[in-house]
Amino acid sequence: MTKKILLSFPQKAAGQPMAMELIKTYHLDFNILKAFIDDNIKGTLLLEIKGEEADIEAGIVYLRQHQIGVRDIESVVEVDPDKCVSCGACTAVCAVGALEMTADWSLIHHDDKCLECMLCVKACPMRAIHALI
Amino acid sequence: MAKSYQEINEKIARGEAVVVTAEEVIGIVKERGVKEAADYVDVVTTATFGPMCSSGAFLNFGHSDPPIRMGEISMNGVDAYGGLAAVDTYLGATQPSADKGIEYGGAHVIHDLIAGKEVHLVAKSQGTDCYPRTELDTWVKLEDLNEAYLFNPRNVYQNYNAAINGSSQRLYTYMGILQPNMGNITYSTAGELSPLLNDPLLKTIGMGTRIFFGGAQGHVSWMGTQFNTACPRDEKGYPQTPGATLALIGNMKEMDPKYIRGAVYEGYGTSMFVGVGIPIPILNEEIMAFVAVENKDLYTNVIDYSVPKKAKPVLKKVSYAELRSGSVDINGKNIRTSPLSSLKMAREIAEELNNWIKKGEFFLQEPIQSFPMGNSLKGLEIKEGESR
Repeated sequence: MTKKILLSFPQKAAGQPMAMELIKTYHLDFNILKAFIDDNIKGTLLLEIKGEEADIEAGIVYLRQHQIGVRDIESVVEVDPDKCVSCGACTAVCAVGALEMTADWSLIHHDDKCLECMLCVKACPMRAIHALI
Repeated sequence: MAKSYQEINEKIARGEAVVVTAEEVIGIVKERGVKEAADYVDVVTTATFGPMCSSGAFLNFGHSDPPIRMGEISMNGVDAYGGLAAVDTYLGATQPSADKGIEYGGAHVIHDLIAGKEVHLVAKSQGTDCYPRTELDTWVKLEDLNEAYLFNPRNVYQNYNAAINGSSQRLYTYMGILQPNMGNITYSTAGELSPLLNDPLLKTIGMGTRIFFGGAQGHVSWMGTQFNTACPRDEKGYPQTPGATLALIGNMKEMDPKYIRGAVYEGYGTSMFVGVGIPIPILNEEIMAFVAVENKDLYTNVIDYSVPKKAKPVLKKVSYAELRSGSVDINGKNIRTSPLSSLKMAREIAEELNNWIKKGEFFLQEPIQSFPMGNSLKGLEIKEGESR
């Protein structure tokens, strides 16, 4: 199976060879989609991992044991339903249809379609779309 | 049979008025015909919820001890106008803040005040014999102010252009982000639910009309700026281009933060989403026929925003039904269309106003003066020479 996960490394976990462990011990393939490290040496890594379901789960347990935050995600953007007014401005820039108006003119976010261009974050007048990395 | 405002208000008071939204009325007219529908329906509610830049608030802070004649005023870092009397100000919706720029502007301060939040007020003055204080730094809430009312010089545009970008560069505009090479079209309307499109000749909407304004009961106070009733119209009288506008007034202390929200247009500026609902009394068959209008019969122009001129080229005349369909064909290319104003929220407002009227909490106000028809727009000529 394939899964997208967002890892957050606290300062003390940065510098450990986590990726090697995932490959060697848990037989996981992964593709680094995005990586970011801030001024406080806290890191964020968006991975698409491939492997047996049991191996993926065990790998995630291993990461968590090493104080690495793991979050399952489909898309790197989140729409805050309290701020969104369903104006539709974000749909103007979403060429892949991940952000779309429903038949009753509510905004719907098909997060599996998102290609992470992040243009919707800028397009949202309510600043209701938040990028996770 | 013609009805008067008074007769309709008496029905509202008795709880007998038939009130429907401008979307619901379309089916009623199709089913019963204009004549019977005009007898049956008393009030049609219209609404819109979209970005309206020409908005702002008059505020009176009350006097401190010793008092100050506020010259420079800022609220949460957003400059407000210091050219009124001592503690009066006007806070414009599009004014950016000193620290966060367009990400937090006047509209956001107005929203925060309506939401009951404390706002940081800083004022300076040169000091006078009667107003000796020269500086002030405090926190205020809406409930602390004497008066706080929105007075928006131009809201609820009667029709507006749709936007496209014919250049090879992405454009950041008040019509949202426009993708290069005609990548998308944006439009901003509540269409068949829109207030001024349901009363195209302003037969019932005039100075004094009582409205739903940001969740409060407000009024139409004047014709809006850039009031263009001389715009091109179809044979029935519906505007084909931007037409009439309204100046609106309402008490912020009665408003709901849900309906007044700060907005940011990337690369352009701050704006304010304003929720407005206007009831249209069905006085006669003519008015009934007007409110039965459908998106397929309302037209606007797709304008190329990449041309940096006042007169931008029109690429196509399209109906709101076409825009709402999700794509429009231009020169054989299917181009995606996206709304900028929230039809979902507009429907909620039309329903809310409907409930107020049905519960007998909201009565119709007949305009004390009608607005002029045939009013055209002037441009601004740039004249040479340093002095005259």
